[in-house]
Formats: sequence, C-alpha cells, structure tokens
Amino acid sequence: MTESSVSSQLIIIVDTNPVWWGQADTGESGQNQMSLAQCLECLMVFSNSHLMMSHRNKLAVIAAHTDKSIFLYPKKDQGGTSAINISEEADQGDGKYELFGLVNNQIKNQARELVINGGSSLLYPDTVLAGALAMALCYIHRSEKEVGPGEQLSSRVLIIKGSEDNPEQYMNLMNAVFTAQKQNIVVDACVLDNDSGLLQQACDITGGIYLKIPQVSGLLQYLLWIFLPDPTERHKLTLPPKAQVDYRAACFCHRNLIDIGYQSSIPSFVA
Amino acid sequence: MSTSRSSEDVLLIVNHVRHKKTDGVLYLMGERMGWMVESKNSFSLSHMYSDIKSQKISPDSKDKVQLQVVMHDGSAKTFHFTNPKGRDVGIKDRDGIKELLQQLLPKFRSKISSELEEKNRLLQESPELFQLYKDLVVSGVITAEEFWESRADQLSNIGKNEGSKQSVGVSAAFLADIKPQTDGCNGLKYNLTADVIESIFRTYPMVRKKHAENVPHEMTESEFWTRFFQSHYFHRDRTVLSSKDVFSDCAKNDDREIKDEVTRTVNDPLLDMLKMTDSNSGDGFGGSSDERKLSTNQTNLTMIRRFNHHSTMVLKACESNRTTKPQDATDGASGTSDNGPKRSNGAVATVTNGDTDTSSTSSDMFKEPAAKRAKIREKLAYEDLEGRTHSKNVNLRLHKTDGYLHGPRPVVLSKYMTSDDAVSASNSVSQKISDWAPELSNVLRGSAALGVLGELSPGGSLMYGTSHQQLHNMVAVDVQSELKKQYTALQELLRHFWSCFPASSKFLEEKVCRMKSTLERFQVTKLIPFKESLKQHHYTIDLVGHLEELLSTAYAKFDTWQARKMAKRS
Repeated sequence: MTESSVSSQLIIIVDTNPVWWGQADTGESGQNQMSLAQCLECLMVFSNSHLMMSHRNKLAVIAAHTDKSIFLYPKKDQGGTSAINISEEADQGDGKYELFGLVNNQIKNQARELVINGGSSLLYPDTVLAGALAMALCYIHRSEKEVGPGEQLSSRVLIIKGSEDNPEQYMNLMNAVFTAQKQNIVVDACVLDNDSGLLQQACDITGGIYLKIPQVSGLLQYLLWIFLPDPTERHKLTLPPKAQVDYRAACFCHRNLIDIGYQSSIPSFVA
Repeated sequence: MSTSRSSEDVLLIVNHVRHKKTDGVLYLMGERMGWMVESKNSFSLSHMYSDIKSQKISPDSKDKVQLQVVMHDGSAKTFHFTNPKGRDVGIKDRDGIKELLQQLLPKFRSKISSELEEKNRLLQESPELFQLYKDLVVSGVITAEEFWESRADQLSNIGKNEGSKQSVGVSAAFLADIKPQTDGCNGLKYNLTADVIESIFRTYPMVRKKHAENVPHEMTESEFWTRFFQSHYFHRDRTVLSSKDVFSDCAKNDDREIKDEVTRTVNDPLLDMLKMTDSNSGDGFGGSSDERKLSTNQTNLTMIRRFNHHSTMVLKACESNRTTKPQDATDGASGTSDNGPKRSNGAVATVTNGDTDTSSTSSDMFKEPAAKRAKIREKLAYEDLEGRTHSKNVNLRLHKTDGYLHGPRPVVLSKYMTSDDAVSASNSVSQKISDWAPELSNVLRGSAALGVLGELSPGGSLMYGTSHQQLHNMVAVDVQSELKKQYTALQELLRHFWSCFPASSKFLEEKVCRMKSTLERFQVTKLIPFKESLKQHHYTIDLVGHLEELLSTAYAKFDTWQARKMAKRS
C-alpha cells in the first residue's frame, strides 16, 4: 500500500474572550465548570492527537479575542528560529516528541501574553470571529501555495467558541464563510455555551459539523470523537445528525427574524 | 366583371392590343377603360378611371410597345400594342391612348381624396379594424361616417406620421432631364411627368402661385406649361422683359430673390468669400481688369446668376420642410454682419469693399473664435456617435447603511453585564492564566469521557434520529447468513488477489489478471443479484456498500499496476 500524499491541515480558532471566560469560570450558570486554561489544555491534547494521526498533518491555532485575532501557533516570527526553538523545547521535554513540546509551549506562551497584555481598555462580551476566520482562510491559501509538487493539502477549520454572536459581523462572517465554501474548506464549530445561528449557517454552508456540547467538562472527548476525523472519513462514522438550520433573514429595521421577506432587486436588502 | 359597351360613349378604340398574350381591342370610354378579347362581345377587363393611379409607357429603346396602367391598390395591367402595320403604327396607337388618358385621368383623380385612400390603407393594414368595419358598416349597424368619426384620432395620427416622413429632395438637373424632343416641324415636345411638375412647383413657388391663379379659368394645363417653357427660355437671357408675359412677375421675383440671396452673406468663419474674385493676378498684368470683364461678360454673368439662383432654389426646396429654428439662428447671426447693400449692384465683390466692412464691424472680430469653434464642433461632433454617458441609474439611498451589515439578533438575549463585571471577569482570567501550568495528562476525567461517549453513542442524547435498534435485530436471519457467505467468498478472492503483489514473476502476473477477471465475475454473478434481492427488503442501510468498496479498491490497484507495466514496456 502506497502512502497517500494528501496531508490534512487543521486550523483551530479558539475563543479567548476574557469576559465570557471569566464569567463562565465564576460558575454563575452552574454548568460551565471550565476555565480558559482548561480549555486550552483540551486544545493542546486535541492538536497533539491531530498531529499524531499522520506525520504529514499540519496545524495552526488562532485566538479570537474581543478586539483582535492572533496566531497562537505557529508564531509569526518563527521563520529562521524554528530549528533553535525545537532544540530548546527538546531540552526541556524529557523524551517528549519535539513538535508536541513546541506546539504546547507556543500555545501556552502566546495565550498568556494575549490575555495578560492584550486586553484593551474596552471589553466586549462578544468575539471578533470574522477576522479570525478570514485569517484562517488566508493562512490556508498561503500554505496551499507552498506545498511541494505532488503533495495535496486538505484543510479544514474548527471553531471553538463560547461567547455570543456579534451581529455586527454578520456580513463579514458570511462573506468569509462563502469564501471557504468556494475553496472547499470545511468549517466545523464546537459551541460551549450560547447557540450560534451564524455558526450553524456557516457549518451547513461549508458541509461541516455544528455541535453545541452539553457537558463542557467533557470537551476533549467531544473533540476527539467528532472533530478529529477528516471530513473524508466522516461519512463512514456514526456521528450526530445534522440539525435543521434556521436560514431566516433578519428584518432590516428591527433585526428580528422574519418568515416572509421581500427581496428587492438590489442584492442583500430584505425588508 | 363584364358589362356591355353600348351604354357609354366610346372615346377611342384601338385594335391589336394584346393583354396576357391574347389579342384584343382596347376601349377608352367616358368613365372607364376596357379591353375585350377579339370575337367577344363583353369586356374581360374594365377599370374606372378613378381607380387608376398612373400610366407608364415603355421606353422607345425597347422592342415591345407597351403601356402599363397602375391602379390605386397597387396592381397593374400591361397592354402590348401589336399593330401588324409595324412598330411605328403601334407607337402611334399607344401615344393616342396615352394622351387621351393623360387628359382623362386628372379629371377623375380628384374624386379619390387622400382621406379615402388613407382609410383604405388603414383597413388593409389592420385586419381587426377591417373585420370591425365589415361587421359594423357593411352589415349596416352604423354608417361609415360614424365609424370613422370614432377613429378620427387614428386617421389624424397617420396623417401626421406621413407628414413627418423624410421628403425626397429635388434633383438639381430636373429641368435638364426633361429633354425636349423635336417633332420635326420647328417645334419642341416636352414630356412632363407629375414628378417634374412637383419639382418645378417646389423649386419655384412663384410658378405654383401662377399655376393656381391661371390654370383652371384662364388657360388649360398644357397651355400653361407651353407658356412656361417659352417664357423660361425667353428669360434665360433675361435682358428684355415683356409685361404681357404671365411669368414676368416671376422674373422680377427671381431678381429680387437673387438680390436677397446676395445680401445674405454666408457667415462661415472658416470661409472668406470676400477674398474670392473672378479675376486672377495674371490678367492685365496685375492691373485691375474688372471693368472690361463686366461689360463683355454681361450675358454670361446673367447665366451664372441664373444657375446659382436655380441651385439656391433647389436647396431651399429641401430646406423648406425642416424646422425653421436653425435657419432663424443663422439668420440672426448673419444679421449682425449685414454688409450686403453696399455690394448689391454687382455680383463681383471688390476687395476694398470687404476691407471696409470688416473694419466697420470690428465687434465681429471678437465673436469670431467662438463662432469658429462652434462651426468646427458642428462639423466634427456626431450625435449618434456620442457615448451614452448619462444612463439613468437609480441610486440606492440608504438611511442606515450599517443596518444592512448586521446579522440577526442573538436568539438568547444577551445577559446584562456591567462594566465592573466585565473587568473583574477579565482580571480573574488573566490571573488564572498567569499562574497556569498545563497538566495534559489530567485534562479529562474518565467519568466525564464515559458520559460523553454515552451521549454520542447511537440512542444517546446527541444522536437523535438514529435508531436504538441493533443491526442484527433489523436484518432477517437468512439475509445475514447470505451476507456472511458473500463476505467470506469475497475475502478469499481478495486474499488471493492481494497476495500477488508485488507481481515479480511471470506466474504472479498471470495470476493477477486471472484474479481480476474472477473478481469481476463474482461481482456480476453474485454481488449484483444479492444487491437486487436486498432492494426488496427495503433496508435503510447499505449492506453491500462495503463489499463494493473492497472491489473498487482492488480494481484501482489493478489498473495502476497495469498502467505502470504498459509504461515500462513502451
């Protein structure tokens, strides 16, 4: 059996909104007993598992904050120093697979830096998701151009999100989603708390899985069970069925969902 | 339609007239013309004069001597004159008919008013209207007048449309084209067609006026035109004017028009008409020779003036139908630089005159560049070549643009949160993160994982829609055993197939090909019938899908192996 030359690239977008995480942590709603750190730990295990599936698999992690999105892994200035980094990590991680150590350390350091220093004076309860998705698409586009001859890269995006939808980003997010659809990029969503209409639509359009998890503490199990297999293998598994997606448009003036919309000849106007 | 000929007075009978290759006799009567076949007693053709629109004759150059009568409805009848005495006699016969028709037709022409013609055309063009006309008027429900009264607007519309049609211009050579023929005894014969007469009228309105004044009561049509041509030739060298002549007024009027035309200087900034003279510098060795020329060339000069006048009138005839606006504008422009009267006595302008003119009207100099530019633009710019720049776009005016960019409201109303809450939450997170040491081996508790697995297993809370039933309960026992047999058989075949790779020896290569054909036979003889029988049970699950996948994988392997082998050989 010849090994297939298709490598799977996973871009994880994780919601690091400190306001929502802080609230979830205080346990007001009772069921969310998970901190951002715990979530990131789940994420690390999950990314390590993904990298372990095949040595060709690639990974990128993007943090979507309240006002900006940054790459947790790979680091921006990684370029020339990656070799040194790997050797450094190898020193620390006694016998651990170097790549795992590198990924985990970078995620940890970058996230810490983002949460402690990145918090601006203004705090919003919602997250800028569209920008993070656009960054992911750009990264995929670049990496697809950089693959060597004879190799193929199949990319997908996983969004782990807890905070509320930001209605102001509706258009931007939808544009990014349609771009993903056009590029054959599957967008999956794992929602921790608030059901997100936007992500439901995004996953349905791109053919991904949308899942609002009932037990936040079991996040890693959900990730490994549902989101680890590639979209090409998913049809062989018994996974949660797709739910009906609410595609109703919002009324222009009141932002309420309406059953019958009247479309004018000018696109994207619904009254 | 055949009527006896006896009741009417016959004006002219011509024998040896052929129509549609049948010899016959042509009759011209008081109100109609008819033709009957020889040896018959009734007309096989009969046309009222009022139905006839015009007549045409064959040119002399043609061998056949023919006369064509064109009807108002567009049809035409052609008569062939075949006098056995010879072609000349035939021509004479034809001309007799032609002349008589010429006199008769105008009498009846007035009977068909243009209005009637129009109504007729309207009926022909619109079948619905014609049907309506038949239903209402012919059956006597309403009178024709009432019928047309209700459609007066339609009629007038059509009249307008025709009026706005482009009128045909007048040929400059229409007078020369008349080509008089000598009749042998010191006389000339003119053939005047309706077109020529119309041209004359349009070019010389005075003649039309005279015609209207004189023709019905003072003289006949032909007399008028005889006089016209006589006088026309008479005052070609218009030196003496006889007051008896009907057209003496015309001559005077022409003179006046020539003067008017001369005074109306051409105000074209790009043309300097004043600089043009009839002399060239060689004449008289640079000295002025105008005096001598004027005296000797008086008659020629008059001729040239006549020609110019004629051309002017021809051009004016075309212009007369246009809207008068542009003319007014040019008139106004020329009025400002009206320097005509000084030169009115001579057709040849002197340079000194022009000089004084320009100096006296120096204010024109300032207008000149603008006028020139306008003129050049007029010549260069074509309306129909210009791009349609101002297309009517409806601009979308949005009151709240940001409203279009917003998505639907969150289904769950956002929890109320003070800024203090937010800040404290953020602080707690950053505090926790700052002293965070990942402990990856302790991320997931076993009990939580088990709970999640329960949710995700068939029948779990997240797996709604999937059945709780086990597969072995769903499928009948005989089908199960059949499926098991299929699997064992296929696995055995596949095991042989895969064991051949890598196909290093000749024997193995042969075995691979054999196994491939065996697999194919298995699929056709066993798997496909099994699949058909499964369809009768209506299972929701595809039981043979995996078997088919196994086969297709083997086929793909075989194909790549074969392709590689072929490539190696070639």
